[in-house]
Amino acid sequence: MSEFFHQYFDFTVMGDHFSEVLEGFFKNLLLFAVVVLLALLWGLILALIRQLPGKKFAPLRFLTIAYIDVLRAIPILIILLLISGGIPYLEFIPKDIRIPHWFGQPDPFWYSVLGLTMVYGAYMAEVYRAGIEAVPGGQFEAARSLGMSYGKAMRHVVVPQAVTKIPAPMLNEMISLLKDTTLASVVALGEAVLVSREILAESFNSSAVILAGAMFLVITLPAARLVDVLIKRNQAKVTRGAHIEVG
Amino acid sequence: MAEPMIRLEGIHKRFGALEVLKGVDLHVAKGEVVCILGPSGSGKSTFLRCVNLLEPPEQGDIYIEGNDICKGPGSGSGEQSWKLDFVRQRVGIVFQQFNLFPHKTALQNVTLAQEKVLGRSSQEARAKATELLERVGLGDKLGQYPERLSGGQQQRVAIARALAMDPHVMLFDEVTSALDPELVKEVLDTMRELAAEGMTMIVVTHELGFAREVADRVIFMDGGVIVEEGPPADVLENPREERTKQFLGLVLGTS
Amino acid sequence: MRKTRLTAIFAVLLLALASVAVAGCGGGGDSTSSGGGGGETSSESGGGEPLSVGSDIPYPPFEQGKPGNYTGFDIELMEAIAEKMGREAEFQDTSFETIFRDVAQGKFEAVISAATITEEREQAVDFSNPYYLSEQAVLVKEGSDIKTLKDLDGKTVAAQQGTTGLELAKEELGGSEIRPYPEGPDAVNALKAGTVEGVIIDAPVAQNAVEKSGGVEIAEKVPTEETYGIAVAQGETELLEEINKALKEVEQEGTYKTIYEKWFHLEPPKEIESETHEAE
Repeated sequence: MSEFFHQYFDFTVMGDHFSEVLEGFFKNLLLFAVVVLLALLWGLILALIRQLPGKKFAPLRFLTIAYIDVLRAIPILIILLLISGGIPYLEFIPKDIRIPHWFGQPDPFWYSVLGLTMVYGAYMAEVYRAGIEAVPGGQFEAARSLGMSYGKAMRHVVVPQAVTKIPAPMLNEMISLLKDTTLASVVALGEAVLVSREILAESFNSSAVILAGAMFLVITLPAARLVDVLIKRNQAKVTRGAHIEVG
Repeated sequence: MAEPMIRLEGIHKRFGALEVLKGVDLHVAKGEVVCILGPSGSGKSTFLRCVNLLEPPEQGDIYIEGNDICKGPGSGSGEQSWKLDFVRQRVGIVFQQFNLFPHKTALQNVTLAQEKVLGRSSQEARAKATELLERVGLGDKLGQYPERLSGGQQQRVAIARALAMDPHVMLFDEVTSALDPELVKEVLDTMRELAAEGMTMIVVTHELGFAREVADRVIFMDGGVIVEEGPPADVLENPREERTKQFLGLVLGTS
Repeated sequence: MRKTRLTAIFAVLLLALASVAVAGCGGGGDSTSSGGGGGETSSESGGGEPLSVGSDIPYPPFEQGKPGNYTGFDIELMEAIAEKMGREAEFQDTSFETIFRDVAQGKFEAVISAATITEEREQAVDFSNPYYLSEQAVLVKEGSDIKTLKDLDGKTVAAQQGTTGLELAKEELGGSEIRPYPEGPDAVNALKAGTVEGVIIDAPVAQNAVEKSGGVEIAEKVPTEETYGIAVAQGETELLEEINKALKEVEQEGTYKTIYEKWFHLEPPKEIESETHEAE
């Protein structure tokens, strides 16, 4: 039993390697920050395209739905491996873009940004969609009947209401995203998991891995609590009763 | 004979395989109040929603003040084949579920479309909104959000909201069916005043008393067609058709 | 009526899942006896107790292949050694960075995985006599103008996590961006893709990459005089003695030479056959 503690909770090891693991963790945070902004935007675009009405836009809607389904179905790990393994071979793309080294971050970082944005954009699109569909259809009808165009009705009536239903599930997705930044370790990004595994290989001790896990906990645990609070608050709003819902 | 305010001819509407409107005609003169009655599933609400193109008909013609609303062949299907803006600027509608915008105050509900669709200045819109809300008896509720208002109050705001667009015709889709009984009167009173002021109205309702007192014409629909129409005294007191008699019998609780 | 049908579907699904699970556990998993190399059909060695051996597969030409069908220099050598011990080698694929800790904890009895004998590692395990003399190589893309290790200074370099190659890179190339990949072949792939400019990896593995995958060449060999050993848990003196004895026999009877020539197309250096190693 004491061997177990030595393997996983050796505080000397943790102390010795604390700044290394922390530096790696900052990479996770940076990756998270970049992807979260891009994915929120990309997801919104996807969600809006998906809602475009009429026969004219049917092919666009279909493509968007297919994209969302496929990207949510393929394991993120596979997508990251495909991107980092495949893109460098696309010779028609100029080298600076194909193997990016922007803002001091190497190509594994940007490949991870691409992969995670593609996937989380899809997940977030679904959160937006749920929010939009939670707005009663009568709202849209009323807005249109008053003469508002599709765009104006969305902008002034539907989306502002959808937005209130979104924070809780969106926060859930963001917690997932933070955890999934660790997948970047397979494309050799020096983030917390990779660093802690290196330390494991050198010291034959897994305590650094626990340390990395603890760093994530510090953020994800309070965030998960916050989600619960948000959900409860939203439910209270709904049951307090806005208008009469008679069939 | 003066051109009717609204002319609908040969309206057909289907939802998938189900044909809901099987050829309905209606002329409504300026200032006329027409009440449409019928059992659920008769198509009366669908028909009303055809008038403002919330449910674009597959077949049929619509004329508003003599103008053909159909855009003509080759202009697409569904809403795109109709002159949507033209219709929506002249036809207002009030819904059974009120559909007030919960994230806006009563005043803002009435000013929003004025500003965004008609391009009125915020002062202009506010002045008009205040006037209308006072007219429906809610002058003291301008800053309230819909969740603070009773059903009857919300519905009156909805009426003011539709009126703010200066419609030529007002449609009412069972606007009191979702209200508690004691709140129905205030809404019907508002509608009564509107009729007295000369507004052209098409009202789908179950309120036979209202129909009897206020309507110029009563229409009974069943199974996607108009079964009987005429002055309220005729249709309600001495219905000719068997189906009308049955329906009224059920509603009035007589055999 | 509907309820019974649902339960029936449920039962079938559950049954299907259970059978898949059973098949997965019983059939192969990770630990299998290797099919051996060359013409041998089944590994009917001395029979006897299986010898569990951990190895990070793939790492050609030392270990490669699929579960049930592993092959390579290490694999064949270990099979020969096990036979001499009157046992049958069973290989388990393990990630390299935990492999020493794993054998120390008893997950398997021995490790053969192109593992260099180092002081640090000896803090956790005991090594057999060396069975291979190695060095590092600088692998670059064919036609690259990188000719020496130092040429890689300031450039992006890849190596495998937990290897002496990675250590060498960290020591000598302070100014470079060093990327640790989980598997050796991943590092080579990164080189071919062009995302890194050089790979520091065991020379025989580099040579194998040059021959088998093409498009890459060895710029420089860095003689590090490292030797590979078979690792066992500390204190397993008896086991270690048996392994050393068996290794000696394999060398003396010429089997070692045969296996060596098969995988490296070279004669084994004389030194290796006489080197011994004292467990510390």
